[in-house]
Amino acid sequence: MAHIRKAEITSPIVTLGGESTSRVLPVLLVVAVACIGAAFFFGGAFKDTGRAAFMHSYLVSYMFFLSITLGCIFFVMIQHLTKAGWSVTVRRVAEIMGCAIFPMAILFIPILLSVLGGDTSLYTWVKEPADGAPEWAVGDQRIFDIKSTFLNPTWFGIRAVVYFTIWTFIAFRLYTWSVKQDETGDKKISLKSQAYCAPLMLGFVLSLAFAAFDWEMSLAPMWFSTMFPVYIFAGCVLSSLATILLVCLLLQKTGRITDEITIEHYHDLAKLCFAFIFFWGYIAFSQFMLIWYANIPEETFWYRFRFEGGWILFSLVLLFGHLFIPFLGMMARTVRRNKTYLLFAAIFLLAMHWVDHYWIVMPQLNASVYEGYFSSGEPITKTEYVQYPGFIDLLLFVGMGALFVASFCLVSGNRALVPLKDPRLHEALNYDNP
Amino acid sequence: MNNEADNIEQQKLIGVLGQFDDSHTLMHACEALRDSGVKKMDAYTPYPVHGIEKAIGIPRTILPWIVLAVASGGLCIGLGMQWYTNATEQLLPFWSGYEFRISGKPMFSLPANIPVTFEVIVLSSAFAAFLGMLVLNGLPRLANPLHRIPRFKRVTNDKFFLMVDADDDQFNLDQLKNNFSDWGASDVEDVFLDQTDWKLPAFLKTVAVLLLVLMLVPPALVFRARGMTYTGTRLHVVPDMDWQVKFKTQTEGPLANNDTKTEFFFKDIRAQFAPLPGTVSRSDQSGDVEFFKGIQQGSDLHSSHGTPAVLASNQENEPQEEQPATTDAAVDEPNWVTKIPSQVKVDKDTVLRGQRQYDIYCAVCHGYSGEGNGLANNRAVALSVSGEASWTEAKSLYDPTVIDQPVGRIYDTITNGRSTMGPYATRIKPEDRWAIVLYVKALQKTRKDAVTAEADKPADASDDKN
Repeated sequence: MAHIRKAEITSPIVTLGGESTSRVLPVLLVVAVACIGAAFFFGGAFKDTGRAAFMHSYLVSYMFFLSITLGCIFFVMIQHLTKAGWSVTVRRVAEIMGCAIFPMAILFIPILLSVLGGDTSLYTWVKEPADGAPEWAVGDQRIFDIKSTFLNPTWFGIRAVVYFTIWTFIAFRLYTWSVKQDETGDKKISLKSQAYCAPLMLGFVLSLAFAAFDWEMSLAPMWFSTMFPVYIFAGCVLSSLATILLVCLLLQKTGRITDEITIEHYHDLAKLCFAFIFFWGYIAFSQFMLIWYANIPEETFWYRFRFEGGWILFSLVLLFGHLFIPFLGMMARTVRRNKTYLLFAAIFLLAMHWVDHYWIVMPQLNASVYEGYFSSGEPITKTEYVQYPGFIDLLLFVGMGALFVASFCLVSGNRALVPLKDPRLHEALNYDNP
Repeated sequence: MNNEADNIEQQKLIGVLGQFDDSHTLMHACEALRDSGVKKMDAYTPYPVHGIEKAIGIPRTILPWIVLAVASGGLCIGLGMQWYTNATEQLLPFWSGYEFRISGKPMFSLPANIPVTFEVIVLSSAFAAFLGMLVLNGLPRLANPLHRIPRFKRVTNDKFFLMVDADDDQFNLDQLKNNFSDWGASDVEDVFLDQTDWKLPAFLKTVAVLLLVLMLVPPALVFRARGMTYTGTRLHVVPDMDWQVKFKTQTEGPLANNDTKTEFFFKDIRAQFAPLPGTVSRSDQSGDVEFFKGIQQGSDLHSSHGTPAVLASNQENEPQEEQPATTDAAVDEPNWVTKIPSQVKVDKDTVLRGQRQYDIYCAVCHGYSGEGNGLANNRAVALSVSGEASWTEAKSLYDPTVIDQPVGRIYDTITNGRSTMGPYATRIKPEDRWAIVLYVKALQKTRKDAVTAEADKPADASDDKN
């Protein structure tokens, strides 16, 4: 379109609406507390026997929502750094979701307490291993001594505090400045955000990498992969793009946002999703292929856990459902400009992302049993070691999800859902995909 | 306005060109024409104008589908090529594949073959996209009649043009000219295609014929050569190390006199001759058979090992064999020495040396304790049980058949190997082999129930064994 359509928001409602939030918010909080609390009690968090299963389920749902939050923070930072114009109208939604890092920090407390309290149900490196402990059988006491200089509860706690400080600072700094720009329209705020994002990006990436090491890679303390943080990062970005898509579609469906977000924006978000679907697949495959090809037992056991004992089902679901099907499904231009299809695609991608984290975390639950079979040299053919998602997983997912949505409502308040006076708003509103 | 210096009868009207001064008027004109149903038109701008393709009404390109088709083909070719060349053999009577064995990895496996497949897909897609784009644009195009219009040169500068093709259904020259001026065109011009019949210069025909004739010369030379024999010096393109400064067997030896080139250094001219008197060969060791071979002096040497070793050891492994030493003649075995040769000092140092060498070379299969529970043996036995390997189990040194062996026999086993045990002659010096024999005997002595009177025979050494 050659004509310049508009230069400012003209529709009246771009907020969540104070009244509906005041009705919805308490319900969400009650649901969140009830579900998570029920999961704690019925999942056996306070008993010694069931705690490992519960902690692993907790970590799965936690990492799912945390990855969305971190991906949203990354999205906002990248848009600032690249002086992007097209994304201005969708950026506020991402900013608000990035601010969910605060409830995420609170939800991290159970994990932190379990580690500081010396509980080995989640991370086996918390305590010095008993002689012949299977998960350290591949290594020995000496390796534990070396690794425990990094993997010990004190440093774990300090690092976690550092990560959340960095992330909370980034998320809230960018959000508060963006909201201030709603009133003043000050161009300097955009310039300041861009300038801050440069060093903050470095801090973000490093903290994300080490958080991936600390929280998901150390589940198998003897395993290591330098691709792992990139793998987690790919998942973060993909899931956050899908969530931004989903939230924008839902907000538009309910009339909270009208024509500020056009089909062109959805097209672009879908294009990014497509790219990151393949990026995720590429990273996941290169991590797998290098370990497969070298065939060194101290690295391959992590994948053997996920191919034997019944876990192959999840691996295949990921391969086809997370890579092949979405890749082919989101290839066509017409598909990317169809809102119904994108709604379905966003939900599908998020489901696959949950399976991804389930696949990373859950096989480690029965790792010590696998080790015994590995030393016998036979492949595990039984399917008894697979752990299918259960009611506790559902409870935790719903609870954390309710908290996530509640955070969205709380943070956005009655502020605009679209940046009202961003200097690049004009570009976003007239954005046209060729 | 006609194009300069052209014959007017040879001009065919192919369109009308409107010139605009800015992109907005151009866009208006495009949209108006599009809305009136004109399909065959094109716009020319100095820079890409946003939305121009919608204004002209260009249908969406089929290039993505072309790329998808080619990429799918690339996927099949990539995978198929790897599968055929690496995982098949003699599938077709020609151009056979070669089953490429790489340390036991599967011949065809997706994780290994995906990178190449991915790159083939990417490469073919890139070519398809680029070449497809050119073809769909009608490129390369050697001549465009628009370049003959001087005004058109400003399209790379600051003017915008719109050309409507004459073969469009809605084409009406006068109406278009009126419309263009209505839409603010600063100029309108007819576009002609010059159809002057170009004749090739006459000499080119002669040149073409001459070239064709000349092109027949190389194949003719080739066929001539194929029908003849070559008598010159053979062409040796890559010398490698084919002419080395050394004397091969059965050749002439060195010259005594380089001038005459007839006298040779050695009387029999040859480069190869029998060993001079007094030469001691490494392999012969005929001087001290007892030390080097473990065989008693004067006994039959021809029953040395090679294939007989396999037969001998197979017969030895049978439980019926009680006294292998006495049935030497029957199994074609030499007389083994029954005491350690005198060159070997039988003392604690030798035993410790033997222990060290044993731990290095023998414990892998026979175990540190000599029971035959070495790691390699365990693994090989497991593999042979499952049928993946063939292996003769490493003997326990306390096995009665081994206890009864004379020391020379044990020495021979180490030297030449037995069944799936390889020969260690090249790796262990004779002195060390005897040290190992001594150590084996010492180990055997630690099991009192396994020790028999026979094993105690080396009487002159027993007082020094600790």
